[in-house]
Amino acid sequence: MLLVEDNDDLAETIIDRLRAEGHSVDREHDGNEANDLLRHFEFDIVLLDVNLPGRSGYDVLRSLRARADDTPVIILTARSQIDDRVIGLDAGADDYMIKPVDFRELSARCRVLARRRAGRASNIFSAGPLTFDRAAKRAMIHGQDTQLRAREIQLLEILIDNMGRMLTKEDVADRLYTFDEAPSMNAIEQLVARLRRKLDGTPMVIKTARGLGYMAYLADDD
Amino acid sequence: MTDTEGHSLQRRLLVTMAAGFAALLVLISGLLWTYSRAAANRTVDLPLAGAVLAILERVSVGPDGATVDLPSAAMDILSLNPIDRVQYRVFVPGQREITGTATLPSPDDLRPSISPVFYDAEYRGADFRFAIQGRQISTPDGRQWVVVQVGQTVEWRTEQHLLFFGAGLAGLAVVSLIGLGFVWVAIRTSLAPLRQIASDLARREPADLTLVEGTPPREIRGLFDAINGFINRLRRSRTLTETFIADVAHQTRTSLSALQGYLSLAADAKDYDQIRTRVVKADQQAARTVRLTNQLLANAMVIHRSDRTSLQPLALKPLVRDILAESLRDSRMRHITLSLIDEGVGAGKDLIAGDSVSIREALRNLIENAVRHGPPDTTIAITLDGDDDAIRLSVEDAGPGIADADLARATERFTSLSDKTKGSGLGLSIVKAVAEGHAAEMTLGRSPLGGLDVTLIFRRIVAILVLSVGALLSGESASARPLVIHSATDTPTMQPLIEAFETRNPGVRVEYVEFQTVPLYRSMLSLAESGQPDVVISSAMDLQVDLVNRGLARRISLAPEITPPTWATWRSELFGFTFEPVVMIYDNRTISSDELPTSHRDLATFVRENEDRFRGRIGGYNIRVSGVGYLYATQDSLQGPQALRLFEVLGRAEMKSYCCTSDMVEATSRGELAFAFNVIGSYASDLAEAAPHLGLHFFEDYNLVMSRTAFVPKGAQNAELAMQFIRFLLSEDGQRIIRDETPFLPLIRAQDPASQFEQQIQDRQGTFLPIRLTPGLLTYLDHLKREEFLSGWDASMGRAR
Repeated sequence: MLLVEDNDDLAETIIDRLRAEGHSVDREHDGNEANDLLRHFEFDIVLLDVNLPGRSGYDVLRSLRARADDTPVIILTARSQIDDRVIGLDAGADDYMIKPVDFRELSARCRVLARRRAGRASNIFSAGPLTFDRAAKRAMIHGQDTQLRAREIQLLEILIDNMGRMLTKEDVADRLYTFDEAPSMNAIEQLVARLRRKLDGTPMVIKTARGLGYMAYLADDD
Repeated sequence: MTDTEGHSLQRRLLVTMAAGFAALLVLISGLLWTYSRAAANRTVDLPLAGAVLAILERVSVGPDGATVDLPSAAMDILSLNPIDRVQYRVFVPGQREITGTATLPSPDDLRPSISPVFYDAEYRGADFRFAIQGRQISTPDGRQWVVVQVGQTVEWRTEQHLLFFGAGLAGLAVVSLIGLGFVWVAIRTSLAPLRQIASDLARREPADLTLVEGTPPREIRGLFDAINGFINRLRRSRTLTETFIADVAHQTRTSLSALQGYLSLAADAKDYDQIRTRVVKADQQAARTVRLTNQLLANAMVIHRSDRTSLQPLALKPLVRDILAESLRDSRMRHITLSLIDEGVGAGKDLIAGDSVSIREALRNLIENAVRHGPPDTTIAITLDGDDDAIRLSVEDAGPGIADADLARATERFTSLSDKTKGSGLGLSIVKAVAEGHAAEMTLGRSPLGGLDVTLIFRRIVAILVLSVGALLSGESASARPLVIHSATDTPTMQPLIEAFETRNPGVRVEYVEFQTVPLYRSMLSLAESGQPDVVISSAMDLQVDLVNRGLARRISLAPEITPPTWATWRSELFGFTFEPVVMIYDNRTISSDELPTSHRDLATFVRENEDRFRGRIGGYNIRVSGVGYLYATQDSLQGPQALRLFEVLGRAEMKSYCCTSDMVEATSRGELAFAFNVIGSYASDLAEAAPHLGLHFFEDYNLVMSRTAFVPKGAQNAELAMQFIRFLLSEDGQRIIRDETPFLPLIRAQDPASQFEQQIQDRQGTFLPIRLTPGLLTYLDHLKREEFLSGWDASMGRAR
């Protein structure tokens, strides 16, 4: 993990917290140096302050994304106006938090991002008794095949890829079906309900927010 | 406040006086209106009467009875009026039409008379002023009345009328203003005590909120009391603000002290368990302090933003969705059931004038409140619903809610109704401030879910905004529509202009249809409005004037920096965009440059003296076929009798007639012709450049200049784009392209000549005689006049018909 933060006290507490959870954390306090470091080394997650000496957090993020580097980035900012956040997310941030940050929440968000990245980067995703083999298109619980149907496998893959992120029903439909199939929204609800039932007993939770969509997260992250 | 109050008193007095003056003005202006109308009528009636007389003089008896030779003087008199369209009619009442437009309206009680009668009438949707006058002539059938009717549209008269009226009114207005000035001085003097109060207030320190003292005159007693009343209210408001600051200080300090207390207790603690309990408490206290600070900042921001006019058109639906999706990322939300019901608001019907930052803050606070006060697995339902006028945003929860008795207090600052959850008491007051900033209604109630129901009712933006969005969208797709040009100019010549226009207006596709001048004219007369092109371009200036005179064109306003010469525009509807002198082109192997005639008169002599040498080797327009040829021939005949003599001479020398300039130039180039005259200089010079044995010749007496003209028909489908095209033709940019990339010369000429042809023209500056775009060009379109002219030409050319 890389923490880019110019305030020593804040940086110290965050580092202590994250190290206590078993992460190894590097710290930079200058935007330019962070930029150089990111050029040459790869990190699992970057925590990026906005107001930095050297160059701003947004600039660091922009040049990171310009290099087609998709390392997850969480922006930390003390500015509270939304416009700033939008710029941050538009610039390619995966999440943002407003200072003072709640450490428990920060860890939770880091875990979600780490999960999402891990889910995408490797072929095998595992959470508690659940393992999902992306290449073989197979999900196992306690080592036993769950007998998921093709659509359910697809849905599971989409949810794993977007862990901790809200997906609207339309998003799900677009990724699951071709344009011609034109599924009813009802069909998607049933599909989600089936998958949720089959994943019973695993830490993977599919949260439904009526009128908004679905979000997957892992219960043991809390 | 004091300012507006003072003003309104003074203004009331002034307004009363002004109303008196205004009533007087209305009375006088009524009289002035009638008078100026009569005066304006006189200014237009005189030329009409002149034109009628000029035509009457030319009425004669021919073999078929009465006939008329339309004099160009008649149209010239009418052309003195620079804008109006012209109609005329010559007829024998009750028997037959002689010439002109037969359908012109006559007065109801038409009795032929030798003194002119003037009247207003409508013709084809436009108001006309007509003059009508008759004359008795003797025919073989006996004495007969011939009546001449001439009319013009009344735009000029209206202008004159308004001008006279305006000038008169301006005088009256000045007098009234001076009168009002005196009134003003009188008011100032009597209101002097008010100024004293004003200066007293102006000198005050901002903190000085003592009452204004003194005994004001009876008339301003009320004002005086109002000021003091206001000062009292200001005092109260300031006390409130001071209380707020004290409250903020109190809350923050209390919160921080508690935090500090727990921490120092922890520091002094004896054993680990004690440290732990105290630090945990300190941590909770810190979380509360953070929340308090955030809310104080949010409160300040929301209030600050509601002071500014930061409201923008805002689609509520996507904003609410964003905020909810964002808040769900928070891990505390995982066990909470959150739902959004927004089907009640259709897409595009969710527009309000809003500030997204404030609304976000309000909604986040409502959700946060619900989470904080409710059980860990509470239910939050957000509903967007609306009707024609309003959009309702409700946030309901399944928490404990607020007792009915407390509802009124709930939105007050620092009123936390729940001791258990230790709210800062700011959440709902932030929401209330946002509602006030949006002029939205806020209601608190009990939700069917069991908890609180907070509803914000925003006023929807209707119609106007949607329309303007629609206009934007259609503006975009307009650029993809085609621009249809019907033109009597060959395509390759216009190509550079069309391409440049397309480049400057991405998405525009020009559809260019080529015509000869006369077929183009006929097609414009026969097309229904819906079939009309967007732009009509032709070199036949007379035919174009006729089309515009029939009311077929739209008015176009040019940018003030574009000023085409007056001869090349008419009525702001018809615009010339090129400068094309007429030249004589000759084969310098047949004719040497020193024997060339210097004037039109000499040309006739020159041909007659060399009749055998040039027999069959002179080229000219077939004026029956070519519109522009006919225009040149008639314009020549206006310059003097030598033109008719020239026809005879040319006829004897067996002149060959052609349809187009290019054919004549090619024939000359091939050596078939010794010379061709009245050819369009721009084409000729372009073609002659390639052939060194061809020479261009200008006369010393005069050289006609034609300008290619364009107008936008009334029925144009893409009128805005078409007008843009004409503005482009006349712009500096368009004129430069005409000069550099087409054979034409630009209408607005640059200082330094770019070609030899241009140099030649510059050297003969004074001899160029532009054909003016005026109703004068209509004379030779009169069918009697035209037939007579053409049959004269036929006879000269030896083509008996």
